[in-house]
Amino acid sequence: MDIYHAYGDLVVHDGIQFVVKENEFLCICGPSGCGKTTLLDILSGLLKSTGGSVLLDGESVDPKKNSISFVFQEPSTLPWLTVWENIATGLKIKKLPRNEIKEKVDEVIRIVGLGGFENFYPHQISGGMKQRVSIARAFATDADLILMDEPFVSLDQPTRERMQQEVLDIWKNLRRTIIFVTHNLEEAVFLGDRVITLSQKPTKIKADLKIDLPRPRDPLSPDFTEIRAQCFSFLHQ
Amino acid sequence: MKSINREKFNTDIKAVVLSVMSLIGFLVFWQIAAHYVASPFFPSVGAVFKAFKNLILNGDTQGISLATHSWASLYRVLLGFNLGVLLGVPIGLLMGLNKQIYNSTRSVVEPFRFIPPIAWIPLAIIFFAGDTRFAFLIFLGAFFPVYTSTLVGVQRVEPLHKKVVAVYGASKFYTLMHVVIPTVLPDILGGMRVAMGAAWLTIVAAELAGGTNEGLGRMMLNYAELLKIPEIIVGMIVIGAIGFVINELLLMAERYLFKWRWQVTL
Repeated sequence: MDIYHAYGDLVVHDGIQFVVKENEFLCICGPSGCGKTTLLDILSGLLKSTGGSVLLDGESVDPKKNSISFVFQEPSTLPWLTVWENIATGLKIKKLPRNEIKEKVDEVIRIVGLGGFENFYPHQISGGMKQRVSIARAFATDADLILMDEPFVSLDQPTRERMQQEVLDIWKNLRRTIIFVTHNLEEAVFLGDRVITLSQKPTKIKADLKIDLPRPRDPLSPDFTEIRAQCFSFLHQ
Repeated sequence: MKSINREKFNTDIKAVVLSVMSLIGFLVFWQIAAHYVASPFFPSVGAVFKAFKNLILNGDTQGISLATHSWASLYRVLLGFNLGVLLGVPIGLLMGLNKQIYNSTRSVVEPFRFIPPIAWIPLAIIFFAGDTRFAFLIFLGAFFPVYTSTLVGVQRVEPLHKKVVAVYGASKFYTLMHVVIPTVLPDILGGMRVAMGAAWLTIVAAELAGGTNEGLGRMMLNYAELLKIPEIIVGMIVIGAIGFVINELLLMAERYLFKWRWQVTL
């Protein structure tokens, strides 16, 4: 991926280049307003960058051809659909056969622990559960790439910690390529195989670090704090 | 969930009982007032009930029964109302989704909104005859509430919801059917209930203007010329009752369709 993006004179991304390997959990960490959401919009193909290219298996991304999932920052469940129907949305758009949809949705519901809530509407469940529905929806399709845009930012601390662990579990279970964007360094180091830190606009890559800690990671261990400190220094150079 | 359902059932029963009680209270108050006023211009409940029975069994002065009058009005209302919804929804969607069409036709379409259907009666008398005339007038009354609420509803579609389906490569048509319409549907139903009110308002006025022997408006005017007040009140009550029933049906449709919403507004 090689991205240059500008809105008129405002250069948002100035030559961001990186490669994600299959089944990798990549975290991108940057200060507020550095264009993280814009970067994900470009990666998903929702937004055309003004320069550069996003290649998936050697071809330009196209939401119609590729299978990409997006977990948004705000709760993005569709309020008129039940939990089950929300999770099935991506599969329905991809026009999978009905029995296959049922199989996949039921499996994902079991993995994310939403069993028993299939027929609830979003207004009947908590914010954390809504975000879990969005995550389930993202994992239900055979996505080549799952993009996550600060999915836990609006959750309280305990829920947030639990959800981080859950995402790791689901990822271990289903093996997908994830690009996870956050402004929280600890979250990035806790989750990622690799952490990329970004600068302020015009955004460039500051560091690209491999996190070689075994999972489950302990945020209080010396190794963890050291890597975190390292990332911190890159972020604030 | 079962106990919640039972609770809801109990509150429903309570609401029905209270409604019936206030209706009875209203009738008692009316009867007492009529007794004390004791004027031929203030008929009692009994007199109106007698007129009601007579209109059903023997019909009016020309032998046209109350059912025929009611059906004539209802038929015209439904004809014009359906036409209004059938055109109001797609045009509202089109205008709402395409700012360019909306902006360029605004100066033509918007002023029509402020011409009340009643102001169209003279032209309708010249150009149309029979039920077409009434359907045309009611259409004018029903179209704009539906059109306007659809137009406004489209603006309420969350960009995020569109993004959710766009990431999976949803077509424009899919987005319309599965994101735009579900969002707008509550507004459309709300607009339909306003339109139904406007339709009844128009039908009675249009029938008063003449050109028909059947219809509740016509019946009421005939009896007004004879100064027979109980029959006029029967006409008013029937209009109120039919309107109430239709509104309740639309509300039931809303409750069924919008289980996903917090509440249904009145």
